[in-house]
Amino acid sequence: MATATDNESEGPLARWTQRAIQDPERVYRALFYVAMAFFLVTTLFPFYWLLVLAVTPSGRLLAGSFLPEVTLFGVSATFPLPVPKGFNPQAFITVFEQVPFHLYMLNSFALAVTTTVIVIVVASLAGYVFGRLRFPGRAFLMLGILAVSYFPPAAFVIPLFQAFAGNAPITLPFTDIPLFTPPRLLNTPGSMVLPFSALFMPLSIFILTTFYGQIPDGLEDAARVEGTTRLGALFRVIMPLSAPGVATAAVLTFIAVYNEYFFSSIMATSTEAARWSPIVGGILSYQTQYTTQYNLMAAASIVGVLPVVILVIVAQERIVSGLTSGALKE
Amino acid sequence: MAKLKLEHVTKRYDDQGEVVTAVDDMNLDIDHGEFICFVGPSGCGKSTTMETIAGLTIPTEGTVHIGDRDVTNLPPKDRGIAMVFQNIALFPHMDVYDNISFGLRLRDYPQDEIDRRVEHAADIVQLEGMLGRMPEEMSGGQRQRVAIARAIVREPDVFLMDEPLANLDAKLKVHMRTELQRLHKELDTTIIYVTHDQEEAMTLSDRIAVLDGGRLQQIDPPLTCYNEPDNLFVAGFIGSPSMNFVEGSVTADAIETKNFSLDFDPASVDGIGVGDEVTLGVRPEDIYPAALHEEVADPSERIDARTDILEPMGDEIFAYMLLGEGETSMSQKQATNDQLLVSIDPDSVIEEDEDIQVVLDRRNVHLFDTATGEAITHTLEAVWDGDGLTESEAESDD
Repeated sequence: MATATDNESEGPLARWTQRAIQDPERVYRALFYVAMAFFLVTTLFPFYWLLVLAVTPSGRLLAGSFLPEVTLFGVSATFPLPVPKGFNPQAFITVFEQVPFHLYMLNSFALAVTTTVIVIVVASLAGYVFGRLRFPGRAFLMLGILAVSYFPPAAFVIPLFQAFAGNAPITLPFTDIPLFTPPRLLNTPGSMVLPFSALFMPLSIFILTTFYGQIPDGLEDAARVEGTTRLGALFRVIMPLSAPGVATAAVLTFIAVYNEYFFSSIMATSTEAARWSPIVGGILSYQTQYTTQYNLMAAASIVGVLPVVILVIVAQERIVSGLTSGALKE
Repeated sequence: MAKLKLEHVTKRYDDQGEVVTAVDDMNLDIDHGEFICFVGPSGCGKSTTMETIAGLTIPTEGTVHIGDRDVTNLPPKDRGIAMVFQNIALFPHMDVYDNISFGLRLRDYPQDEIDRRVEHAADIVQLEGMLGRMPEEMSGGQRQRVAIARAIVREPDVFLMDEPLANLDAKLKVHMRTELQRLHKELDTTIIYVTHDQEEAMTLSDRIAVLDGGRLQQIDPPLTCYNEPDNLFVAGFIGSPSMNFVEGSVTADAIETKNFSLDFDPASVDGIGVGDEVTLGVRPEDIYPAALHEEVADPSERIDARTDILEPMGDEIFAYMLLGEGETSMSQKQATNDQLLVSIDPDSVIEEDEDIQVVLDRRNVHLFDTATGEAITHTLEAVWDGDGLTESEAESDD
């Protein structure tokens, strides 16, 4: 009887604490929701903000605040979430009318697919070697490959730009001895696909190495006895069995290239779709010397992101299982 | 369907700076249609030998011939072989039909030929109606049959089987063993079969190749390996439970061991002289309680022993006998000298810790050179003339 009155006299926090002590699961669950909410807000808010910008008519973009004053029961306050100033879904159509934005998307898509195919094929060969063969210097070589991804991409830009410009022959380091004159690759897919492939290769090699290393030797032996070469065994047996790993590497590469800005903005020097400018180039072309159409840029960003969102939703199960099972091994 | 010939096959590999010889100068000549078992303890080189035949490993030295072709450096797919793996190795992402037809599809056989062969192979291993299943939906025995079907469908010259029954339970193992024998009869193909189970080797093969330490110890029909082992290793490896070994030395008229002596005329056997160190080998079933010595055509002297542990198996009793002052808890070396394992009739009245006498069947007493392990003779002839020991034994027989 006495305890009952005690409980009643305590506040809700004390009661919640009491129950949490008895059942710690509640705390973990509560923390999970808090963390979830935090990540959801931080990742989704930019998209919400883009949407707000996109549907706001261009004339009202710069006038007034996006945070409306709300008067309720005579008390006026600032609503803490930005809301559109007006409703203009027309922007999503104007986006395609003003510049051929679909072509920029196609460029990005083509660059991403080409790079992904190159990366997966080459990284598969490397992953096979690193994952399944024993040879002296293996760990050292792997380290060297991973070291490529330690360098900031900016470190490669100037030499690559010089090389892709094709104006002067490549010389031996520290000398004037010319080796060869590279073809002019600026404003062609080559100037982007080549560095993208090289930069995103190490991660894919690492992922595929852990996956290919886990396929039992017996299966490869069986395939070879049945009539494949080593290469045939890789593509007919090892790769299909490592599908989650291949999917992970492919999707990561695809997304990275699709969203790439740094190299493509430098290598595709013009913002014309016909010159292989990717999505970012397209978005920037809404900005002219005298106007900046924020609402169109926002709408284009949303349209541009959609394919990746769809890809991730479709492949997410594979990616998650791929990343975790790869992580278990090493 | 072809002969298989290994000449001076040696495989060395580098294990962290240390050279390991997995197979050492292996010479084998296997006839068309033979069923050969490679048998030996783990690490004896049997799997490596198999892999050099399959082409999964290239030998450091030596050549491999299949039929009239030198296949030493050919890739596995061009050797006309098929293999059944220890871990079965079905492709998990393909159904049974695709697994079985994998090799045929790679070789671009016409579809109707593939269908016909797959059907026939499935029929042989009794897998009808399961062609659409995935490997993960099948039991261990069924998977094993798929693996065998995948091998026979290609109609290979040589079949390689690497411990195919190792992962099956005991009952299924015996069943699959009979099926394999039936299969061999039906296919009439050369089969190389690797196992560490000497019983499997005995029951299945035309000839057994016993391997140890990367070397071929003996290759002979199972009963020859059993009755006339070439050396101590083969003698100890073939037969279950294994042969009793007792170390001794040769005197002018006997073989003296620590606890007993046997009449022996050194002149009756080539390559042995007084003072030589020899090891006596007797199988458990060639030792009899002295009371039953009439059943033995050529019994030896009586040997005093005391029963230690009895293991009734149903059709026989394995009795561990201690000789002399032998104690149970002894080092392995002493145990072999002071202990005999005897297989006796299940109806015998015998108890633990009972003093009895046993006799050896002299016709099946093996002599080995202790130093080299080489067999000297596989039968100890009775000494008929001279010292009268035989007579005295004859008296005691009455």
